[in-house]
Amino acid sequence: MFHSALKTLTIPMAVALATMSLSGQALAEYPERNITGTIQWGAGGATDNIARSLTPHVEEALDTSVILTNRPGGTGVIGMNYVMTQRPDGYNLLYGAENPQLYRLMGLADFGYDDMHTINIIGQGLVVIAAPADSPFDNLAELLEYAHQNPGELRMGGTGAGGLPSTVHAMINAVDELDVRTVTFGGDGPGMTAMLGDHIDFMPLSLAAVGEQIRSGKMKGLAVLTTEEIDALPGVPPITEALPDIDTFLPWGPFWGVFVREETPDDIKQRLEDAYETAVDSEQFQQFLANFGAEPLNLNGEDAQQYLDNWQSVTGWSMFEAGSVKVSPEELGIPRPGAAAE
Amino acid sequence: MIDTFHYFLMAWVDPHLLLLTALGTLGGIYIGAIPGLSVTMAVSILISFTFAWDINDALALMVGIYVGGVYGGSRTAILLNIPGAPSAVTTAFDGYPLAQRGEAGRAIGLSTVMSVIGGILGTVILAGTAPWLADMALEFAPRDYFLIAVLGLLLVSTLSGKSLARGIFSVALGAAIGLVGMDMVTAQPRLTMGNMQLLGGIHYVVVMIGLFGVAEAFYQLHNLNKVPVKQKVDKIIPPLKMVLKFLPLSMRSGIIGVVVGALPGTGGDIASLFAYDHAKRSVKNPKVPFGEGAYEGLVAPETANNAAVGGAYVPMLTLGMPGDAVTAVIIGALVIHGLNPGPMLMIETPHIFWFTVGNLVLANVFLLIFGLTGIKIFTRVVEVPKAILIPLILVLCVVGTYSINSNMTEVYWMLGFGLFGYWLKVFGFQMGPIILGVILGPLIDNTYRQAMSSVGDSGGQFLLDLVTNPLSLVLTSVIVLVLLGQTPAKAWFNGKLKRQA
Repeated sequence: MFHSALKTLTIPMAVALATMSLSGQALAEYPERNITGTIQWGAGGATDNIARSLTPHVEEALDTSVILTNRPGGTGVIGMNYVMTQRPDGYNLLYGAENPQLYRLMGLADFGYDDMHTINIIGQGLVVIAAPADSPFDNLAELLEYAHQNPGELRMGGTGAGGLPSTVHAMINAVDELDVRTVTFGGDGPGMTAMLGDHIDFMPLSLAAVGEQIRSGKMKGLAVLTTEEIDALPGVPPITEALPDIDTFLPWGPFWGVFVREETPDDIKQRLEDAYETAVDSEQFQQFLANFGAEPLNLNGEDAQQYLDNWQSVTGWSMFEAGSVKVSPEELGIPRPGAAAE
Repeated sequence: MIDTFHYFLMAWVDPHLLLLTALGTLGGIYIGAIPGLSVTMAVSILISFTFAWDINDALALMVGIYVGGVYGGSRTAILLNIPGAPSAVTTAFDGYPLAQRGEAGRAIGLSTVMSVIGGILGTVILAGTAPWLADMALEFAPRDYFLIAVLGLLLVSTLSGKSLARGIFSVALGAAIGLVGMDMVTAQPRLTMGNMQLLGGIHYVVVMIGLFGVAEAFYQLHNLNKVPVKQKVDKIIPPLKMVLKFLPLSMRSGIIGVVVGALPGTGGDIASLFAYDHAKRSVKNPKVPFGEGAYEGLVAPETANNAAVGGAYVPMLTLGMPGDAVTAVIIGALVIHGLNPGPMLMIETPHIFWFTVGNLVLANVFLLIFGLTGIKIFTRVVEVPKAILIPLILVLCVVGTYSINSNMTEVYWMLGFGLFGYWLKVFGFQMGPIILGVILGPLIDNTYRQAMSSVGDSGGQFLLDLVTNPLSLVLTSVIVLVLLGQTPAKAWFNGKLKRQA
């Protein structure tokens, strides 16, 4: 015990002394070795794609290697928990998606992005409600009308509680009534495959996942989760056309970000923030995002915090109002949408 | 047409691409042979590695690794009774007994030739019927996947060895292990006992390495002083007569492999199980009984798992949907390289399709070359004294497990399963049924719930669909026939037929 305490004291001191004697600014040396980037989702998924296309630009900006590892499982809980238990020295980064903002609300874990420091909110995905090409519905309004007359009959593809389809479903239910059979799949891919075979009637999906299917005419878009039509999907009406009241929740979408432990020294945080800002801004990555069907955000500091708070408030409250979660966001100190902005 | 031919030969005539495919195949064989080091992992590391490369170079390397890796799993299965990958589990059943008889060289030679036959067959079917096969795969509704999984459960009788009761116990145990983790529908922890590390479930490769690798290593401590079997190394390349004799079985197994591989949601692991079962049922009088070193037991799974590679590319290249975990990562690679994997891929970038087809054939040619050379050195592994071999196996098991998700907890689980598996072995339990349960348990859980929620939780409608949908009816009938075939009803029916005749 004493020995280890001594060790924890002496090593940093020795390191500090050594670096101080080498150069005046001890921390200007960062990064002096490889950085580990933990991706909280599996290989081949959206978070993985984003992380692997962004990282080479970061490596250039930081002049070091960032080794990427996938630690999937438990909606990202396992990967995030890993990074949070590593040393807060800036050598362990988390590449995450939106899910941790709902962990407390869903009782999955007692932490969220509030417990970490945001390096960058890279971008946000656009959401499309898609249906098979031969669907009798051409837009969400028609689908809603049918669902009102035949409650509990349409089959909606889902990815489980807290997944994107369930959140979109909750938002719709917060302003209207959509009573459907939810068929749960292991992810976007299996859900879309089932839709191509007409085994489900519609599914809310990210544009990144479904864009190519719509473009090729294998599926059609019933609505995009925006207030205006978007360039990537001409002719697909914005969701506000069918549901004007949903406007209070928009803009909304899944997002991707990079995080470090809160206790990381400030100048390292700054160094990382600068590097990621430059990397996300690079022409090649912006091109990738556009092709991928995502909106670039490139937020850090105050802006990033505001974005995260707003996302959590909108999502948490719509899920609560639709009855998808039992815990009130109020109990967790999440303000109602709109309140955060004031 | 000329274009097609040109794309097909791209990797054959460009020395650079030729070299990358060769390197990939060679590397794949070794990655596949080490339990835990998986093709999926190798390919995802390659994505970062090949970020700045030309897409064709990256694809050539990935195809090579994929083909080599699926084959590589058979090496350790034959030599050490430790499958390098889940799709080689059945290879060990007859491969290891062959090695124990001094025929490791012959077993490796035969599985190489059969893997190549399977790989080429899979590629030919991919090239010839991809759009048609993809449409067929889409017809499979959740309830049909459920039926396939149930059919898979019936394999327990094939895998249990002498005691069916022990086999059924093992399958149930495996299914329970497979269900640990977060419930897919409600996102609630299930059987995790409050442990956050278990939210992600227990990876089936972790279970596999524990049960097959560590348990086997412990078990072999029993015969530490036994003199290793001297290996015959003169008859490695199987004679043409032998290959031709097994060709019909190999073709049937290959077709099973392609179809199961083309279904998104099932892959080479399930394909090889079905193929082994098919061999056991269809080959009436093997020279050596199954499980004691029958060549047929090696031919079927090895053809099927390599044929499944071609199958997995079917939904990927035609629809942009992954056929298995590896093709999911390759789709990611295409996205990162700025291509749009989807239904338009074949129209907008036709070269990707034919380039991949050409590459798969090429990789199989390299597989034949690399697979048949160096066998003599490999067979020496069996002759290494156990006191040196066993510690090495244990080290590889730990490294392999850690590399799956870089998670130390999984290493502890793997060691736990190793001890448990040793104990089960001592009491005459088979490991195969446990893996069967781990793979099929979650599949049955998911697909049954999908099927039920699709019909609004109406049990009557669910049962009605099983017999009214043509595809489901076929699968249901097969299940009923297999079930009846395992009961006294079959003997009674056969007896009646004889009396009539």
